Amino acid sequence: MNPVATLGATGRGMAGALGALGRFVGFTGQALGWMLRPPFHLREVAAQLVQIGWLSLPVVGMTALFTGAALALQIFAGSARYGAEFAVPSITAIGMVRELGPVLGGLMVAARVASSIAAEIGTMKVSEQLDALKTLAVEPMQFLTVPRLVAATLAMPVLVAVGDSIGILGGYAVGVTRLGFDGPTYLRNTLDFLEFWDIASGLVKGAVFGFLVALSGCYFGMHSGRGAQGVGEATKSAVVLASVLILAANYLLTEAFFSA
Amino acid sequence: MIRAEGLHKAFGPKQVLRGVSFEVPKGQSLVVIGGSGTGKSVLLKCLLGLERADRGTVDLAGLTNPTPHAVAPHVGMLFQGAALFDSLPVWQNVAFRLMRGTGRMGRVEAKALAVEKLARVGLGPEVAELFPAELSGGMQKRVGLARAIAGDPPILFFDEPTAGLDPIMSAVINALIRGIVTELGATALTITHDMRTVRDVADRVAMLHEGVFHWQGPAAEAFGSHDPVLRQFTEGRTEGPIPTLR
Repeated sequence: MNPVATLGATGRGMAGALGALGRFVGFTGQALGWMLRPPFHLREVAAQLVQIGWLSLPVVGMTALFTGAALALQIFAGSARYGAEFAVPSITAIGMVRELGPVLGGLMVAARVASSIAAEIGTMKVSEQLDALKTLAVEPMQFLTVPRLVAATLAMPVLVAVGDSIGILGGYAVGVTRLGFDGPTYLRNTLDFLEFWDIASGLVKGAVFGFLVALSGCYFGMHSGRGAQGVGEATKSAVVLASVLILAANYLLTEAFFSA
Repeated sequence: MIRAEGLHKAFGPKQVLRGVSFEVPKGQSLVVIGGSGTGKSVLLKCLLGLERADRGTVDLAGLTNPTPHAVAPHVGMLFQGAALFDSLPVWQNVAFRLMRGTGRMGRVEAKALAVEKLARVGLGPEVAELFPAELSGGMQKRVGLARAIAGDPPILFFDEPTAGLDPIMSAVINALIRGIVTELGATALTITHDMRTVRDVADRVAMLHEGVFHWQGPAAEAFGSHDPVLRQFTEGRTEGPIPTLR
């Protein structure tokens, strides 16, 4: 293979990737700028709180329930090797509130919400609704993006808190019915070992993940290509980017919160 | 008044507008015709500030090269597909401008005015609470028209107002446009390739061909013209200077 051609192709690929990164960062900056400028579309924020928060509760709750239950079983199996079965309640709780609650909740919301936002805004773009907003003196960034960012950032910590509680409940149910734990002892062990920062760090992660999910959905919706294929591509890209950003942000936040 | 001077617009290597110049005096109705892909919608977007022209000047309601936000209070626009907001009921679509612009109205007052505008385009109050997806194509166009005139703007734009409608509904929409433009004393610019719309709505006609206004003149002269390009288009013939493979 011609090395010059390979080098050229690599350079073009890198330039394309950097250009895409620049556009995404620029979009983020614009969105943050519009967040500070009146008018504030509070009715839209309320509608999005219902769409993003309330309607995501079942999927986040179900995910957390089964995750907590499986986690308790796994920790029991592992800790039994060292005779440390007593640690099941506390490790299940810490695992849920620090990591699995926010991350799995974030991924489920990414699948449900980033896709829906990208498809909705993409369809609005294709059908000239974004142009219509502009001709009615309404800036689409302010009317569509900002309410979704605000609502997702506010709703995700609540979803995480609910998911954490249900996940711990799942672990409790398995612990008491399958693993032979005494109910009050299981709960006491859970509460005694959990610290404020364990819970707070998960909620902060939730807020960041919510912002990233809405940002990905809005970005790809606003930059959707033409036709059904363009909207489909935007939807897929929004979910992929939101998921990757959640996992990357989770690592960075964990480093920031818990590294020695 | 709507005025454009030397508008140029290209997308990559494709030069769409190559120096479009025209003026629509206050209270007149200009209809722009031209084949598919000749840049009629691009011209409209440049006029409204939705696309930035590469060169040239737009004067709209006393503003030079205005942004969409600046020109919005002076302009009403009917989009080709109506572009109604799916998540809002009909009355909120119509009252959208009234409830959000400067000097915004309360919900009750805005709804009353929306119902009044709906009546003007022939729709009863029972339509107000429906959502756009529940309406036929013709009804959506009427709602789009009601939204365009909600603030009684002095300038109106219509992008393919009869696209996708049957001949009877097309005639209804054309009659509504003509009536509303006359009633408001508005300056209007319509883009179409429906000759019925040209006959019903135009005071003047301009034909966009190869990036410029190839022909401009009074509507009455458009159909009797000997210009071969205009004649081929108005008569819908396949033979002539306009290529059929575009």
